[in-house]
Amino acid sequence: MEDIGMEEDSAEISGSAQKQGVADAWETVTNALMSPGGPGPEQGLWDSLALLSGEGLGRLLGGWLLETLQMRLSSAVVPEFWAELQQPENELEERGRAWVLLTAFQTLLGRLEPFLGGLERLESWQDEGRGSVCGPGPGGLQERAFTIIRALLLFSPSPVLQERVLEFYSRTFSVYMHQEGQAEDGAEAPEGPEGGVCPGCGVPTQQCWCKEALEQLKELSHILSKLQLLEWVSCEAVTSILHKLIEQRMEQHCRGEYERSFLLEFQTWLELVLGWLSKVFASEAEKDGLLPAPGAPGAPGAPSTPSVPSTPCFQAGQPGSSVLKQWRCHMHQFFCRIYVNMRIEELFSIIRDFPESKAAIEDLKFCLERTNQRQQLLTSLKSAFESRLLHPGVHTSDILTVYISAIKALRELDPSMVILQVACQPIRKYLRTREDTVRQIVAGLTGDAEGCTDLASELSRGDPVTLEMQDSDEEGADPEDWTPDPTDAVPDKMGSKRRSSDIISLLVSIYGSKDIFIDEYRAVLADRLLHQLNYNTAREIRNVELLKLRFGESHMHYCEVMLKDMADSRRINSNIREEESRLSEEEQPPLSLSSIILSSEFWPPLKEEKLELPPVVCQAMEAYTHRYEKLKAMRTLSWKPHLGSVTLDLELEDRTLTNLTVSPIHAAIILHFQDKSSWTLEELSVKLGAPKELLHRKLALWQQHGVLREEAGGALLRGGDGLSEQREEKLQLFWAYIQAMLTNLDSMTLDRIHSMLRMFVATGPVVTEMDINELEGFLQRKVREHQLLVSAGVYRLPKAN
Amino acid sequence: MKVKIRQWNGVASWLWVANDENCGICRMPFNGCCPDCKVPGDDCPLVWGQCSHCFHMHCILKWLNSQQVQQQCPMCRQEWKFKE
Repeated sequence: MEDIGMEEDSAEISGSAQKQGVADAWETVTNALMSPGGPGPEQGLWDSLALLSGEGLGRLLGGWLLETLQMRLSSAVVPEFWAELQQPENELEERGRAWVLLTAFQTLLGRLEPFLGGLERLESWQDEGRGSVCGPGPGGLQERAFTIIRALLLFSPSPVLQERVLEFYSRTFSVYMHQEGQAEDGAEAPEGPEGGVCPGCGVPTQQCWCKEALEQLKELSHILSKLQLLEWVSCEAVTSILHKLIEQRMEQHCRGEYERSFLLEFQTWLELVLGWLSKVFASEAEKDGLLPAPGAPGAPGAPSTPSVPSTPCFQAGQPGSSVLKQWRCHMHQFFCRIYVNMRIEELFSIIRDFPESKAAIEDLKFCLERTNQRQQLLTSLKSAFESRLLHPGVHTSDILTVYISAIKALRELDPSMVILQVACQPIRKYLRTREDTVRQIVAGLTGDAEGCTDLASELSRGDPVTLEMQDSDEEGADPEDWTPDPTDAVPDKMGSKRRSSDIISLLVSIYGSKDIFIDEYRAVLADRLLHQLNYNTAREIRNVELLKLRFGESHMHYCEVMLKDMADSRRINSNIREEESRLSEEEQPPLSLSSIILSSEFWPPLKEEKLELPPVVCQAMEAYTHRYEKLKAMRTLSWKPHLGSVTLDLELEDRTLTNLTVSPIHAAIILHFQDKSSWTLEELSVKLGAPKELLHRKLALWQQHGVLREEAGGALLRGGDGLSEQREEKLQLFWAYIQAMLTNLDSMTLDRIHSMLRMFVATGPVVTEMDINELEGFLQRKVREHQLLVSAGVYRLPKAN
Repeated sequence: MKVKIRQWNGVASWLWVANDENCGICRMPFNGCCPDCKVPGDDCPLVWGQCSHCFHMHCILKWLNSQQVQQQCPMCRQEWKFKE
């Protein structure tokens, strides 16, 4: 400090006399500023500086330097840089281009170095207190200088720069990744075969410039960092490279692959990439790491000198600097975003495959929480549903299956259920328009639907405790546990607590009320009970019990009564049977009759059909009713003649059909033919009290069995005993088919022949059902006649001659 | 041709032999059950009075219990006597 004071004093003493001295002093100082060598502080210089300061010119120095820099830049340096960069127009290969890029920047640095040195010197003078030399204005001189450089250099950048940088970085990336990858595998770099291509730099191995490329990278990043251009030149390229590479890798590895998680895999890979980034931003990083950059950059092509001792910081993949930390965040963000984008595209398929695609859903959940793409996901998923699922070509049961998968998958993805609720709204709306939705759901619940076992297992999994929890909405909820809904939640009265994830509740609530389901279930149950002959209700009881847990006791009450009716009926039947058995031989009823006795108020309305049963049946029913009345005082029975089933044997002249199970109307028809062999449709209709159209439909069964046939006159029917010849004719017709089939296909099983024949018959003119037993008999006869061979159930034709 | 019926499984519904559809007290169908019952038939029988009116047994018992002075048929106000 004292030193300065003295110098100022001396300047004041001798100053006024030497105007000429000022010019000289200016000359000395500016020369010293611009001299590349950086002279040590000399007394002469200090004197000159002091003189200028004394004249109040000191603060012009900074301005002058910047001005000169600007002039030089715009007149010479910048055009030179761009010219150099573009100079070898399309003549060089990649390696050459990389070299040109590097040299261009080297020249640039060389040109600017004097200025930078001068600036540094000025600042240090200022710091040492040798007068205010930096001039007025905000920010340090250096900063302003860099701004000027950036502004002038990148004012109109040629796309060639970005191209070159991108290319160069991509190359070094692949080189780096290749080397690291090898190091990771622990495998020595295999010497490729002669003329092989180096996987790193993509040229034949003997010309490999991997090492060189890495050196160049180091050098380039150093220069850029020195000029404070690193961020401006590299960021865009690095970003786009990372983007492209992550995308590429994801396309290759993850697309269509839902069954394993990729998060960890990518994490490791990203750490590897970070290693490369640490090379790109080496100097920047080291600056942040407070490691002073040593001197000038090493000469290009000197691979052995590690001029940038930054590697230790990053070797463990741990970013030691904020720049790398930033990039790591960036990459992570890229990754999440790209992953989410891809999975959103594939979400429909993921949902369809759900239990298998759980890993993908979990990954997506992780990434989705880190990006802001819920809205995109919702929109995309909704439209995927609409275009792929909700159109007339898709079977209702398939829609339900996907919906169930969606419920399962989306409740994993978003525990708040908002995505589920919003995305599946169109499905629910659409299902409401399908007529068979309820039936399908009920079939699923009772395990009748093929391929859709989810619902049945879901039902049996039913946990009454959780169900009750859902019902009691206000109580038991700890206010501390309350979390607000996500922003995309649909504002509705229900609130999050009511947003159920229970599959069955969700399905049932499609229609807004359980009643419609319970009615449907009742109809299905009634149908099942009436059509099974063995009064075995174990499965139905189980289903009803499970449904009771879901829908509540009171709703399933009717179904319980129905099941009880079945049990009661069985008891009454055996009671009556017992009573009958005590009767003498001649009093035995002509017909073994049992009955399902319904509590009519509790069953769904059964369709009424008029049918007069033959007297023998009516008598049996009357007798049954009589016994019932004795058993249950003041109660009687009202028969539903058209319901039930009949097992009968039919003895024809040439054959006997045994154990046929038919409906009462079929039985009634054939019973009438027992007494009288031909009826007109008219007569039958009167006799049975049933409409002709219905009868005509029902007659088909007996026609198929070859028991009845419609005469040419149209109206006349004939109870056929003499039908066997006609039958034989038909079989002979089949024989031609069978022979042809066996000629072509060599050998066939009975089932195969039967199904093939059915196919022909269905398309052919003869509409006759062929019984498989009958066919077997026919084939056996052919075997006996040596027209056919059979071994191990396979029929074949005997070899010619 | 001979038809031999092995087994005929019919379907019938039971009903009370009563001169009315609904119970005059609870207005529920006789073939159903009274409001307190779950299962119709044996568990919720009908009873007839000598006046020939009939009710769910549970209904008429409740009615009779609630009558302090005289036990009357709620329909015809005759004295209630169970029909044997």
